[in-house]
Amino acid sequence: MNTAPVRPAIQGSLDALPLFIPALPFAFVFGVVVAEAGIPEWLGWSSSPIIFGGAIQVTLFTLIGEGASVAAAVSAALIVGARHMLYSVTLAPRFQNQPGWFRWVGSYVLIDQVFVLSQIKPIEEPVAFRRYFLGAGFTFWTLWMISTALGVVLGPAIPPEWGVEFAAPVLFVSLMMAASDRRDKLAAAALAMAVTYLLASLPNRAGILIAVICSVAVMLLSQRWKSR
Amino acid sequence: MITLAILLTGVGSYAMRAFFIFALARYAFPPLLLRALEYVAPTVMAALVISMLTTPEGELAAGLPELLGLICAAFAAKTTGNHILALIAGMGTFWLIGAII
Repeated sequence: MNTAPVRPAIQGSLDALPLFIPALPFAFVFGVVVAEAGIPEWLGWSSSPIIFGGAIQVTLFTLIGEGASVAAAVSAALIVGARHMLYSVTLAPRFQNQPGWFRWVGSYVLIDQVFVLSQIKPIEEPVAFRRYFLGAGFTFWTLWMISTALGVVLGPAIPPEWGVEFAAPVLFVSLMMAASDRRDKLAAAALAMAVTYLLASLPNRAGILIAVICSVAVMLLSQRWKSR
Repeated sequence: MITLAILLTGVGSYAMRAFFIFALARYAFPPLLLRALEYVAPTVMAALVISMLTTPEGELAAGLPELLGLICAAFAAKTTGNHILALIAGMGTFWLIGAII
């Protein structure tokens, strides 16, 4: 075990690397969606720096490919990404003792994996937190720019029968376990799974947000019940 | 039109990420809210897993290989705390069971 202190930015970068592996097949799925929607490669790729959110980008181009209006495609994509508002609330206390520029830049790289890393490794010291966050965020950003560029050029490079897309739910289960450092958090996760399944037919995956809010409310009520 | 859609989605998704970070920059968080926020990470991850395994019509798009793969990944993550090992356990089980059945 190496006990030498690693600089926070490098640590963030190193922690982000393994989490990127499942995003790689997703970048190729993205390439296929852009090709099927008949969008020029460079225009499709430009959504990576402009939007920087895999599921949001895929939703947008899937709907455009199906002939949806701009308003319909944009609003569906934003509903898919609505969970980022929860990340924004959750991280707001950690951004309070930070400089203004970090609020602007940090918000840009606030994606699922960066959020979970910041929750799994809570760093109290503001400068270290900032460097860790940016190290993880921009490592992910750089890799996403490169891999989506490859994705739109190469398209379906991986045979679909390999099922590599399954790596995404596998990673998120692993992140869920890492974020559940207490039993009640694991219970909340199980509840969220059940509610999401019940609401899975809601349009644009709106069930995700509802399931999270329901589960959090139930956990708070049960805390209050126990403390009586 | 596609350019407009990309720009609008970009502005919208940035606004969703930045909104509360800016809006609550000087807000004193009550303890109840801070306790609630502790549950956001595990529940969002859980909800994402299920939404990836269901069709837009609400049907489960996962069989035994997926189910056992996720259980092995969860177990590996809990015992080792290593995402790479969890990925190997999950994908390995998924491919193995898929090849057998």
